[in-house]
Amino acid sequence: MQHADWSTIYPYLVWALTAIIGLGIALASAGKRLHIRRLPAIDAIEEAVGRATEMGRPMMFVPGLAGVDVPTFQAIAIAGHVARLAARYRSRIILPVTDTVILTMAEQVLREAYAEGGAPDAFNPEDIRFLSGDQFAFASGVVGLMNRERVAANFFFGSFAAESLILAETGQALGAIQIAGTPSTLQIPFFIAACDFTVIGEEYYAVTAYLTREPILLGSVWGQDVCRILLASLIFATTVAQKFLPPSFSNSWGCEGDG
Amino acid sequence: MMFEPLQNSTLNYILVASALIVSVVILIALHSSPPYVRRWVIAGVTFLVGLYVPLEFYIPRHNFLTVWRDPLSDLVRVLAGFTIGLGIVNLVIVHGRHILQRTANFPFSLAFFVGFISMAFVGFLHHYKPDLWAQKPGEGELAFWSAAYKVFFEGLLLPLTSTVFSLLAFFIVSAAYRAFRIRTLEAGLLMAAAIIVMLANVPVGTWLTSWLPQDGWLKWLRLENAALWLTTQINAPAMRGILFGAAVGGLGAALRILLSLERSFAFGGQ
Repeated sequence: MQHADWSTIYPYLVWALTAIIGLGIALASAGKRLHIRRLPAIDAIEEAVGRATEMGRPMMFVPGLAGVDVPTFQAIAIAGHVARLAARYRSRIILPVTDTVILTMAEQVLREAYAEGGAPDAFNPEDIRFLSGDQFAFASGVVGLMNRERVAANFFFGSFAAESLILAETGQALGAIQIAGTPSTLQIPFFIAACDFTVIGEEYYAVTAYLTREPILLGSVWGQDVCRILLASLIFATTVAQKFLPPSFSNSWGCEGDG
Repeated sequence: MMFEPLQNSTLNYILVASALIVSVVILIALHSSPPYVRRWVIAGVTFLVGLYVPLEFYIPRHNFLTVWRDPLSDLVRVLAGFTIGLGIVNLVIVHGRHILQRTANFPFSLAFFVGFISMAFVGFLHHYKPDLWAQKPGEGELAFWSAAYKVFFEGLLLPLTSTVFSLLAFFIVSAAYRAFRIRTLEAGLLMAAAIIVMLANVPVGTWLTSWLPQDGWLKWLRLENAALWLTTQINAPAMRGILFGAAVGGLGAALRILLSLERSFAFGGQ
């Protein structure tokens, strides 16, 4: 059974970061005005939905390969936003999933989004498709769907692996407008090469705050930014310390350094 | 172990049946309840389970919460089991409609049913009755249904998935072609870095600069050293920076989910 090792700095660091993010949320709740910088990829979502509507072709939203985890939860939240826009234009979204738990979750979120968008009858539960739990069977299923349905816009949000480029290149070959976002660092270059817009790294977790502009969500993004500044300072300080201080110093923090 | 496996099979069956009935009742109750009740139930369960996991991890060693870890994992597996049924229903409805209505894509749906039914049939027989309707296997031979399973799995499914994976090689080339078109300074730098790293990974690349000295500052002009410098001093820190940012973002997103602050998106209602 694995538990936190309190003789090292790591658990304290995680709780400190959590407290800072909590502080950001508290400040935003108290009325502090916060700003979030522009994310062109997210601004392009409406353009992509509009273009698909004009062409009279469906859109595809792929929420990644993972099961129930934080990136997938974010992806489903973004899918809700895209569906709300699609409902406004009575457009169709196809959402293939690789995990059956996500299937039920996505169906509920999209059904509610279409209802909120004023077009509950435009929602077709059959457009939320479980394809396969296997990575490449899923990829070939998505590629087949893209080709048969001639999708006009693709949204790739969530955790992806080697199938990312197969999906994005197929969409590129079809001439679809493509917007991607992933926290999977190894897949970011593939999406940048094959998609029109890409949300990378920490931006991925700021999307819901950016879309809703809810002060509390903006507060959490502000807290995360403070954490990043602190972490960067800590990395700089420890690099300098490791260069000039004896190895016993870093070992006293519970960090296994190579001297 | 908090719960020991039951030895009494009758009692076991009764408990399983009761658990199924209770689960169905809970599902019906949730389904027929108003949306705001469902929202509160989801928010409450998310908060409690989301609080349990970090607390169990951060309270040192084996603690009063640890005993619930295995039962909770089992519960998650049971819930996932329910949804697998829903996944199969979804596939059958979608493909069944294509076949019944003879849509343009109905051959694909037919292929799905043939593949699904035959794989399930062979898989079950391989697991439970590998020599049903067949001769007993000889010494060192596979039973008929086990051999059939091997053909389906190793002879069909694995080559098919490998084929899809191999497509990646061609897609990488087309994506690289677009990425490396030199239109901006950044694309130019990317192209230069890519050429150095690619050349350093083939024998002819290292041969090109093999005449340069192994020591002194000129050694950094040798392609293998330049590529090593690019990957460890430029690429790795940049990737780690993105990873740090994403990790903190993940922590913030997890906190928002735990506190149900994302409810406007995930559970509907503004």
